[in-house]
Amino acid sequence: MATAAHDDHLLERDGANAQLDADLERARLGAGRVVLLGGEAGVGKTSLVRTFAARHEHEIRVVWGACEALFTPRPLGPVFDIVQRLDGFAVAPPTTAADRAGFFSALLEDLRSHPTIVVFEDVHWADEATLDALKYLGRRIDSAPSFLVLTFRDDEVGANHPLRQLLGDLPTATTTRLSLQPLSVEAVEELARRVEHSSRGLHEATGGNPFFVTEVLAGDGGDVPATVRDAVLARADRLSPGGRRLLDAVAVVPGSVEIWLLEVLAGEDFAHLAECLSSGMLIPTGAGVGFRHELGRLAVEHALTPDRRIALNENAFHALAAHPATEQDPSALAHHADAAGNGEAVLRFAPTAAQRAAAVGAHREAAEQYARALSYHATPDHDRLALLEGYSVEAGLTGRYAEALEARQRAVALARALGDRLRLGENLARLQGPTISLGLNEAAEEGSRESIEILEELPPGRELAFAYTAQGYLRMLSRDNSEGVRWGKRGLDLAVKARDADIEAFALNTIGTSYLMAGEIETGRPYLERSLDVAHEHGLPSRVANAYGMLASGLGEMYELEESERWAVEYIAFASARDLDTAYIRSWLAADLVYLGRWSEGTALAQELLVDDVSAITRITALVALGRVRARRGDPGVADVLDEALETALGGGHLQRLGHVRAARAEAAWLAGDATRTVAEAFAVYDLALEKRHIWFAGELAYWQWKAGALVDAPDWIAEPYAQQIAGDAWGAAAAWAARGCVYESARARADSGDEVLLRDALTELERLGAQPLALDVRQSLRTLGASVPRGPRASTRENPAELTAREVEVLALVSEGLQNAAIAERLVLSRRTVDHHVSAILRKLNARTRGEAVAAATQLGVLER
Amino acid sequence: MDTYVILRRSGWKDGAELGEAAERSTAEGERMSDDIAWIRSYVLEERDGRVGTVCVYQATSPEAIRRHAGEAVLPVDEIIKVVDTVLVRPDPVPSAA
Repeated sequence: MATAAHDDHLLERDGANAQLDADLERARLGAGRVVLLGGEAGVGKTSLVRTFAARHEHEIRVVWGACEALFTPRPLGPVFDIVQRLDGFAVAPPTTAADRAGFFSALLEDLRSHPTIVVFEDVHWADEATLDALKYLGRRIDSAPSFLVLTFRDDEVGANHPLRQLLGDLPTATTTRLSLQPLSVEAVEELARRVEHSSRGLHEATGGNPFFVTEVLAGDGGDVPATVRDAVLARADRLSPGGRRLLDAVAVVPGSVEIWLLEVLAGEDFAHLAECLSSGMLIPTGAGVGFRHELGRLAVEHALTPDRRIALNENAFHALAAHPATEQDPSALAHHADAAGNGEAVLRFAPTAAQRAAAVGAHREAAEQYARALSYHATPDHDRLALLEGYSVEAGLTGRYAEALEARQRAVALARALGDRLRLGENLARLQGPTISLGLNEAAEEGSRESIEILEELPPGRELAFAYTAQGYLRMLSRDNSEGVRWGKRGLDLAVKARDADIEAFALNTIGTSYLMAGEIETGRPYLERSLDVAHEHGLPSRVANAYGMLASGLGEMYELEESERWAVEYIAFASARDLDTAYIRSWLAADLVYLGRWSEGTALAQELLVDDVSAITRITALVALGRVRARRGDPGVADVLDEALETALGGGHLQRLGHVRAARAEAAWLAGDATRTVAEAFAVYDLALEKRHIWFAGELAYWQWKAGALVDAPDWIAEPYAQQIAGDAWGAAAAWAARGCVYESARARADSGDEVLLRDALTELERLGAQPLALDVRQSLRTLGASVPRGPRASTRENPAELTAREVEVLALVSEGLQNAAIAERLVLSRRTVDHHVSAILRKLNARTRGEAVAAATQLGVLER
Repeated sequence: MDTYVILRRSGWKDGAELGEAAERSTAEGERMSDDIAWIRSYVLEERDGRVGTVCVYQATSPEAIRRHAGEAVLPVDEIIKVVDTVLVRPDPVPSAA
């Protein structure tokens, strides 16, 4: 748009040009890159990219897509523009979220097989779905010999701008950031000299902005105008009256206007098109004509009188609406209808535009289309109800929970006033989404109760299926597990009858998770796996993610750690491929690793999460993982993390979070030698854990009370290893812990035994882990028994960088003797699968490809000598 | 970064072994310079005839100290956080060893 002069050589852009050329060279060697080209409006971003493209278009394919300054841009518009220009690209534009993933990957595949420069202009205006596409491509472009250039106005991208997230998400290693600066005094003088224009006060007035400078230099040579807008209008006023009116018509269409439409809008003024083009104010674009720069369009559009603005938009609307429905772009129609103040037309097209936007994942744009429609529709009828419902869903999906809740509450009130019991019931049940996200669980409970009351009076259908399931979900969240199962099953039954796959997957998930939380792993797992299948089969990615998430977090909470770890890894792969959030499940993975005795891996992951701005529940889980390790190592900083975890967990008041936090704090107090505080922490949520029959929380809290000599009574249903320990069966508890892979807990159980052999065994394991405080206790116990106390391990063996577990060392020793897995399984009385698992863990931890390499590495580390 | 004292008791057979450890520690410290900085150490003559150290480090977290120790193969008996420093005199100049 803004060429600083009619000269191919741009002033003061040599550095940026050289950078682009160098980056392109690297991209063409196969290491694709993203260039983020920032700068204020009119600073010459497009001009720079144009000259860059012109230098290379004879040797590499170049395609362009531009984002438009519509209030609600066409979802994926710029991406569609680009694929239209890719020869042989045959994948149809997506209409659903499920198609979208395939479309993005087909596009990436195309860029992998055909070296291409892809330019996205003005991405600060991009819709949400386009931003998703850019994130998808930007994170993977390094595997293609292609080059992605994104231009944007860096001064308009504030902290909360949607583009901000994308800028942070692009990998630094493959992203170049360029920021174009305004021209210097010397460059402005040079430009003025070229057209024999005075440069007096020019730099001062224009701030060196090339577009502004060019507009002034193209003007009448009088005083320098005070603003860009004045400069543009002064230049426009030098056109003939017909040419000037033609500019008005072009200005009401953001981006560029197609020729046929301009003929309709401009009428006889269309004859002045050549004049406008030769003046340089308009330029030809792919499909029609447009302003040389958006700043020019804005200046002219703002100068329109209200009457003329309305008339032009009304004409544009009617011209576009006269097209066959299949070719209509509802977001453009809604835009012109809105600008013309034509409410009836807005209501005809905005909801369609919203649905199309939502279908491809542009939820922000969908919410805005619903909001636009709502502003024209105040009549309390069913149409308004549908708009409120749509708005609530879309606002919720973009994280605007308070707005989502308000819309839902209005929908409830309206359905009530309309006497529509079915819609009232459903809206009450759907209060759940935003209320839970806002931590207003009581409001969710109220809505759920009333929705069931109302819907049960009506013939059963998908609304009641949802209401039952939502009630089950609430019960599951507060760990009333048998109620969670009961309501979930009622919901499931109706969902299957109503053939609603989404509610079916939701119900299966609720039932499965409720069983898991009751400790009934074998019953719960198949429900979650079925939920996963149903969600996969019907293309419901968020339900797929929920199922994986529950398998990972639920099994982790139940100390099925190795299984939890496997699901977490699967989830992370699934979610990363779709750019879904992985932080919460990664926090569970950190916890799994900690309880599996892989402390360095677990704390590194937890700390990685804590540097980022993650949700409260992610933070709590990561803080607890970190706090447990610090306490067990005797390291400083325990209170820092566990105090923050408690403070954050108290906000929600749920057992699910408080159970973890209180148990970790009780352990830390015990290891710090403070029995009083141990009891206080262990009692704090004990009653709640008993009430909810949480076998692990109740078990661990009872255990700490028992250690501190304060346990009055523990029920018989608590988790096995804790029950065994409290009953004095240290050996049995140690074995139960070892079977779960919990090496520290297993050593702790042996430390409780008072048996010299078990104590020595525990000491070896604790010193290998670096569990200083408990190791000191065990040494003391051995001394009390009158046993000789082994010296501490030597430096070379004290730290085991590979973090092999005792069992893995045992397996490795047999590997070093040349035994195959079947023979090892026989020797250690383990299943073949378990040995396979241990061997692959050993290879991974030692970073070895073969068994021979593993043995060599372990010998070098001194692991095998013991 | 916070300041920490790290006890490495009887970590080495003799001064020569400690010297090698110090080289590994320095090299690893360079690699992790965003997370850890070695300030100074006092070498201890231990009762068992070996040598140990008391080290002062600055680090972003105790985990960073553990990671550094793991990579450089240094023992860690205890990590203690320093909350205040009272400087009375500069460290004495080491007598000729």
